Amino acid sequence: MIYFDHSATTPIRPEVLEQMNIVNRDYFANPSSVYKTGRKSRSLIEKARFQIATAIGAKSDQIYFSSGGTEANNQVLWTIANQKNKHVIISSVEHPAISKVLEKIKPYGVETSTIPVDDKGIVLTNELMNLIRPNTGLISIMLANNEIGSIQPIKEIIKKICNHNIPLHTDAVQALGKIEIDVNELGIDYLSLSAHKFYGPKGVGALFVNKNNNIKPFIIGGDQENGLRGGTENIAGIVGMGLAAELAIKDQNTCVTKLKKLEKHFLNNLKEHIPSAKHNKTNNLPGLISISFPGNKSNILMAKLDRASIAVSNGSACNTGNIKPSKVLKAIGLDDNINLSTLRISFGKDNTIDEVDFLIKTLIEIL
Amino acid sequence: MKETIIIGMSGGVDSAVSAALLVEKGYNVEAVFMKNWDEEDTEFCTAAEDYKDALQVCEELDIPLRSIDLTEEYWEKVFKVFLKECESGRTPNPDVLCNKEIKFKAFLDAAKEMGAEKIATGHYAMIDYKDGLYRLKRGKDINKDQSYFLCRLDQYQISKSIFPIGELNKDYVRKQADKLDFLNFDKKDSTGICFIGERNYKNFLKKFFDIKPGEIIKESGEIIGEHEGLMYYTYGQRQGLGIGGGFGRKEAPWYVSDKIIDENKLVVVQGQDHRSLYHKHVKASKVNWISGSPPDSNADITAKIRYRSLDTSCQINYDTQNVFIEFETPKFAVAPGQSIVFYDQDICIGGGFIESRANKNIL
Repeated sequence: MIYFDHSATTPIRPEVLEQMNIVNRDYFANPSSVYKTGRKSRSLIEKARFQIATAIGAKSDQIYFSSGGTEANNQVLWTIANQKNKHVIISSVEHPAISKVLEKIKPYGVETSTIPVDDKGIVLTNELMNLIRPNTGLISIMLANNEIGSIQPIKEIIKKICNHNIPLHTDAVQALGKIEIDVNELGIDYLSLSAHKFYGPKGVGALFVNKNNNIKPFIIGGDQENGLRGGTENIAGIVGMGLAAELAIKDQNTCVTKLKKLEKHFLNNLKEHIPSAKHNKTNNLPGLISISFPGNKSNILMAKLDRASIAVSNGSACNTGNIKPSKVLKAIGLDDNINLSTLRISFGKDNTIDEVDFLIKTLIEIL
Repeated sequence: MKETIIIGMSGGVDSAVSAALLVEKGYNVEAVFMKNWDEEDTEFCTAAEDYKDALQVCEELDIPLRSIDLTEEYWEKVFKVFLKECESGRTPNPDVLCNKEIKFKAFLDAAKEMGAEKIATGHYAMIDYKDGLYRLKRGKDINKDQSYFLCRLDQYQISKSIFPIGELNKDYVRKQADKLDFLNFDKKDSTGICFIGERNYKNFLKKFFDIKPGEIIKESGEIIGEHEGLMYYTYGQRQGLGIGGGFGRKEAPWYVSDKIIDENKLVVVQGQDHRSLYHKHVKASKVNWISGSPPDSNADITAKIRYRSLDTSCQINYDTQNVFIEFETPKFAVAPGQSIVFYDQDICIGGGFIESRANKNIL
């Protein structure tokens, strides 16, 4: 199979897998236990915490492990449901792990306002000020979009709201290893990460929390993660995430250069051989390309590509086949027909030019 | 190269075993899960149990499973017609249209586009080819025969279709599924109209129509109750009328014998044997002849007026628009809107929509 769906998930790095296997085999003790083996487990987790913190310019005690990006997002949003200022501002291109959570917590009095985006999927920061209310308790805007790869001007947003003392959360699951993340430079209060998006394991993620916050636990139980996340730690997963983050940062320049090369090669060939295809351009997270093929249905295209053993995805479709126009593509102004003819191709660090050529060749055949 | 067959996989046991049989025969088999109906108007889809069952079967058989979305086609070509028919007081049969327009049209087109020579489904019906024509035959398992629902297919549609389990009976199919480790082997048969499923028909329709109450009258005109809207009742219906004749009563039960659409009145009669519930003559419109032309005038024809009924001998005449059927014996509860399906022995020769019924040949 040729895999071009790295925004959905990435294959695990062999060295990460190896570390995880060692941990699973040799370090089973509960990190909360105080005897020797328990202390070893604890130290493995703390090392990983340091690796994650380093990857985003944070300090170790600002990192909280969880089951993934979705849980990290939920924790931030459910905290809003339990506080006085219950108004939240999000962008119109957020992942359902933000937008759907907010719908669910409406009954708790949480109100949501949405900032529109331009045709490149970038939030219209000028609109932001009109949306702020006295009871605005959170602004949540993703760092990089998962469907079209637009990168949001978080720094600029922070600058605009700095007088209002409103915490800012960013869902950065698509970004790590592709664009630089420095929490201090960004000036954000919360940031969500997910290991499996940067060649780490599934089922583990982390939330960065700036200390000046009143975040509440979402999963309640033991005192793990400073009381902010109950449940015995997923040691191997956490170790895997830590190493994957470290390697993602170490390889970032090489990886991005590679992704850009693949992207350019693909787009040039697409232009030459399939001029009717429309690239939904953004300011471009490396490796993620959204392409519409007017007159074709994306689900049929995907089935044909699958027959040729090529994995790509279409918007927010789910596996039961029920395809609805993507909200993100709608937000950047695509009409429903174009919307439903759109594929997302997301390259990864191990893709090759030959593979891209095969994709082009296959697209020419099936269109 | 081996012929590529794309099977419509529903997650049920029939299509699962159909796929297994095709794999066994050496075809290059691929499966497609059709999504025809939005269960909920939620923004993001719910992972359907049916899909999971289909996926397990396909993994067991090591064949690919892909999904296609035909909700728009279904809504336009089937559901809108269904609503219109309901609104005019008729008793539509969306499954007949679904086969004609969706499974053997939209799905067939998509499958061909995806490189299939033919499609397969888990219908209990058979196909043979004789004297240059494809023939649709009843399924071997007479309790399960689904040729009724396939009566509107044409030569092209049938020529591109395979029904692998048409010669089997349901018990055997279930046993095969069990043997093949399909987790859906004891899954309940789907009943009724696919998009309504187990839900209450009346409550479902209420989402789409206002309640238009009217009188329930006897044939004499005497008012004996109130109905909630003619579309919620069908001909021959006994339960849910809200008038006597029910449990613990001595008098005979009431049945819907007619609907007076202009006056929004529902006519009921007492007793299942009441003569107003039986009709010998039926007028059918939009008749499809599977062979492409009407049967010989001397052919021995039988017809079914609904899925779960036996067929009865009849004579047919036709003009350019309609077919006129005279049954040998009167039929109970002939419902306009339902399909009337014609057979020559075991061969399903076609079908049309019931327009009206009478007891004299004045149609």
